[in-house]
Amino acid sequence: MSFSLLSPLLLLGLLGLGLPVLAHLLGRERPQKLRFAALRFVAPHDPVVSQRRSIRDWPLLLIRLLLLLVLVVVLARPVVGSEAEVTVLAEPHDAVVLLDASASMELRADSRGRSDRELARERLETLLEAMPPGSRIGLVISDPQVPQVELGELDQSVATIRARVDDWTRAGERPGGWTLAEALPRALGLLGERQGDRPRIIYAIGDPTGGGLGSLPEVAGEAVTIVPIPTRGRPGQAAPEPPEHVGLRELTWAPAPELDPRALRVSAIAHRFGGGDNQLEVSAALIIGDEEVARTQVTLSANGDAPIEFVHTPVSAADVQPLRARIELVDRPDDPLTIDDRRQLWLIGQDEIDVLIVNGDPSDTRVNDEIFFFATALGSETSAMEIRGLAPDQLEDQLREGDPLADVDVLVLANVRAPGPEQTAKILTRVEQGMGLWISVGDRVSASEYNERFTTLLPLLLREAVYTGTAPGRTEARSEGLAPISLAHPIFTSMTTGEGGDLDLGATATKRMFLLEPDARRGADIALAFTSGAPALITRDRGAGRVALLTTTLDRDWSDLPLRPGFVPLVIRTVQWLADAGGVGTTGSLQIGASKSLARSTPYTVYTPNGEPLPIAPEAAGEPARFTRTDAPGHYRAVPNEGEDDSASAEFFVVEIDPRESDTTAIAVAGAELEGEAGTVTIYAPRWRELALLVLVLLGLESLVRWWLGRTRAPR
Amino acid sequence: MSTGDDPIEQLIPAALRAALARRELLVRRPVAGIRHGQHRSLRPGLGRDFRDYRAYVPGDDPRRLDWRAAARSQRLVVRQTESEEELALVLAIDGSGAMAYGEGSGQDRWRWAGTLATALASLALRQGDRVGFALGRAGAIEVGSLEPTARRDRLRALGRLFVHERPTGVCPWPSLLGAVAARLRRQSLVVVLSDLLDPGSGSESGSGSDRSADEALLRDLGLLRAGGHDVVVVQLLHPDELEFPWTEPRVLQLEDPRGRRPEIEGPGSVLREGYLARLDEHLRWLAQSCEQVGVLLVRVVTKGDPAGPLLELLARLAGVPVEVETRGVER
Repeated sequence: MSFSLLSPLLLLGLLGLGLPVLAHLLGRERPQKLRFAALRFVAPHDPVVSQRRSIRDWPLLLIRLLLLLVLVVVLARPVVGSEAEVTVLAEPHDAVVLLDASASMELRADSRGRSDRELARERLETLLEAMPPGSRIGLVISDPQVPQVELGELDQSVATIRARVDDWTRAGERPGGWTLAEALPRALGLLGERQGDRPRIIYAIGDPTGGGLGSLPEVAGEAVTIVPIPTRGRPGQAAPEPPEHVGLRELTWAPAPELDPRALRVSAIAHRFGGGDNQLEVSAALIIGDEEVARTQVTLSANGDAPIEFVHTPVSAADVQPLRARIELVDRPDDPLTIDDRRQLWLIGQDEIDVLIVNGDPSDTRVNDEIFFFATALGSETSAMEIRGLAPDQLEDQLREGDPLADVDVLVLANVRAPGPEQTAKILTRVEQGMGLWISVGDRVSASEYNERFTTLLPLLLREAVYTGTAPGRTEARSEGLAPISLAHPIFTSMTTGEGGDLDLGATATKRMFLLEPDARRGADIALAFTSGAPALITRDRGAGRVALLTTTLDRDWSDLPLRPGFVPLVIRTVQWLADAGGVGTTGSLQIGASKSLARSTPYTVYTPNGEPLPIAPEAAGEPARFTRTDAPGHYRAVPNEGEDDSASAEFFVVEIDPRESDTTAIAVAGAELEGEAGTVTIYAPRWRELALLVLVLLGLESLVRWWLGRTRAPR
Repeated sequence: MSTGDDPIEQLIPAALRAALARRELLVRRPVAGIRHGQHRSLRPGLGRDFRDYRAYVPGDDPRRLDWRAAARSQRLVVRQTESEEELALVLAIDGSGAMAYGEGSGQDRWRWAGTLATALASLALRQGDRVGFALGRAGAIEVGSLEPTARRDRLRALGRLFVHERPTGVCPWPSLLGAVAARLRRQSLVVVLSDLLDPGSGSESGSGSDRSADEALLRDLGLLRAGGHDVVVVQLLHPDELEFPWTEPRVLQLEDPRGRRPEIEGPGSVLREGYLARLDEHLRWLAQSCEQVGVLLVRVVTKGDPAGPLLELLARLAGVPVEVETRGVER
């Protein structure tokens, strides 16, 4: 820590310390001397003020001198080099500033109550001032709604970057956005191709959390160095632990018919991040519409969970209509991260998911049948799911005769030989219109037929079924487990890692699987992978619908996956995601910044949480309308402009912040090693404000001493 | 007009001299001089103005017989006329440091005293009266010129005193008046020139309300008056003393010009409080005391043209009824 002055020349003002003494010597009033004959009539008993010839009030003089001293030092603007440092390459280089806009940046961990977002702004300013001349610089904010600043010469770009960040800040809180890892490709895209030996650096400014700087690699493709600039602590050292806070996650609802035919059970989990040995009591309220209908209190230990559950019974049938509901932590004004103190959902009474399972390998033994495991898993959500089963030939018959998929939300092809081309075309059409399709493989699945008929649907083309012993890298293993789920995948929205957060599928023993053809152009997302890295559950959006591919069986033929406890939530979440309705429990839930595909290919009016109507229209005829302005958490309602104007045709969804953003646990951020000469820029923290406070204290002290001296010398 | 080096010319400028050209120094009461003069005498003499008749006694000058009166009364009657005798003017001059107030300005009290003294002496000498003066200065008295004389060099000596000497120290009033009383053998006009603000001698340091020194001075003056002399006190006051113009809070350091009272220091506005009242009281007391002992008090403010105060002084000496000045200080 170093002490320095921003305006040292102002210390010349210390010469002014001699002013009070000089003023005493020079300013002392010289009495006018008079030889006055009538002196005897100037009453000698009148109080005669004798002019002071010496300094009488030394304490007062010292206080005033000290006051002047402090005032001069304040004007010289003393600063103290702060703990945090910014490392900047000293030679001209190409740089992109990657600014973390995630929700966890709202954490107020600073001793002065400043949020990480405000600290990041200061770091950015320091970085801009420290950039060597001749460099080029650009900006990427991890908020999809904020345009990036293209790489440009330092002189021109700095002003643009400042203006862009200011505009973004003025736009208000936009909790959410991308993680730094998700925004990294944009930053790499800005840097472009390498030109000569010019260094390329990404300065990532963010919080030292797993979703912030912790998500970044040290080197990102083509020798681009990433220099992390944490808002708290210093690179290479463990950041100070942030203050504890409480957040909500996993808000769901379910009917509670055992209590009342209309009763709804609304539940969430409160989590205490950090904390000491004490038990923390937290109050939570259920708010329907704008009215608080219930309140409860839970006790939380350090880093502990506590379930919150309410039962709400609408008083009339009219209340069964979709209701805005939210659970909110109350009486926590000091919580350093408040954006996760509330979660919301729509309570929708009539919203069943119609699931049609086509069992390609019916078995006489019920426990060996896919439909048994599948129906059992979905059975825990009985009232929200309508499950039907068909044999492949029945499906083909019905497809030839009519449209059996018209009301189907999710079609499951479980170990089904590929349907005929005509049937396949109808399935494709329905998926384009919004139906979910889940394909699980098995002995009856032919890779070539599927690749041929479902070319446009499959997330990745099938290669062949292999035994795990021959899987790449796993030559001796007889079975293979599943890796932890990818929390970034929308199927697992609102889930968290750690104890109780994962699906606990790691012990799954898979003997056989389908390998897939890698193809980055198909836009597939891996939701679940084997420990070898091979995809286990891979998904893809297609039109308004979604497709999921499980590369092993739904029954016990190839894997013991159906026997695992995590199988049930896996199936439920996958079906809910495929149905895009969210189904019972979560309704449609999006993360901030995500886009929402609406059911119809017609213009819609989307009503945001604050009631603002936003018109949207399909980009092309036949394509579903897509809503992208999911800027703020809250309840959204999309009403088609054509057709029946009632709630039946309206679509409801909520936008939430990523629950991972609640986890503000500090991690150690590795310091970047720059090739070539690098300068360390110390961030100076101003200290004159404290001294200015001292000036006020001294002023008060001076008045006090003056009053006291006057009182003690007053004539009695 | 240049006043030259002549101290008389310096003290009596031409305008004042012109104003005094047709004036006479007259006193209200008859005098008893040694030689013939211009003042009405206590005794009948060879004057021009008729006084009375009386019966002829042998030895009377037959030229003074009034034949017409004798014819009317059938007996010899001698006509008596008023005698006109010369006057002895004695100046008792306060040469204490207080008289130096206003030095360097047109309100120099010492210079005003010189103007009045030389003007009176000049008038007296011009009409054949005798002039003497005594000075009390620096704790001592100078009585070398106290014996009245009608010589013109007495006027020059008086002029030199006021031009070349500066007042200092204290004036030993008892000694001064004692010396004057001892030297006056005939009825004289004694003119005392002083500020009479603090006539105490060197050892006293009393307050404004301590009048022992003032009373002693008045007593001595009363004794002079009782000795048959006309006693006139000309009190010379500076406007500053009457008004105390330092009303600002600026600090003043007041010194006693006589050097016997301690310095007083303080803001002018504070020092002024009560001063005017005390001065007023003193002036009233002085006027009443002078009246009681038969001493004529003429108060002169050293401001403006000295001709006015001088003519008024002459009028008062001649007995022009002027209301006794008892008014105090203008607030």
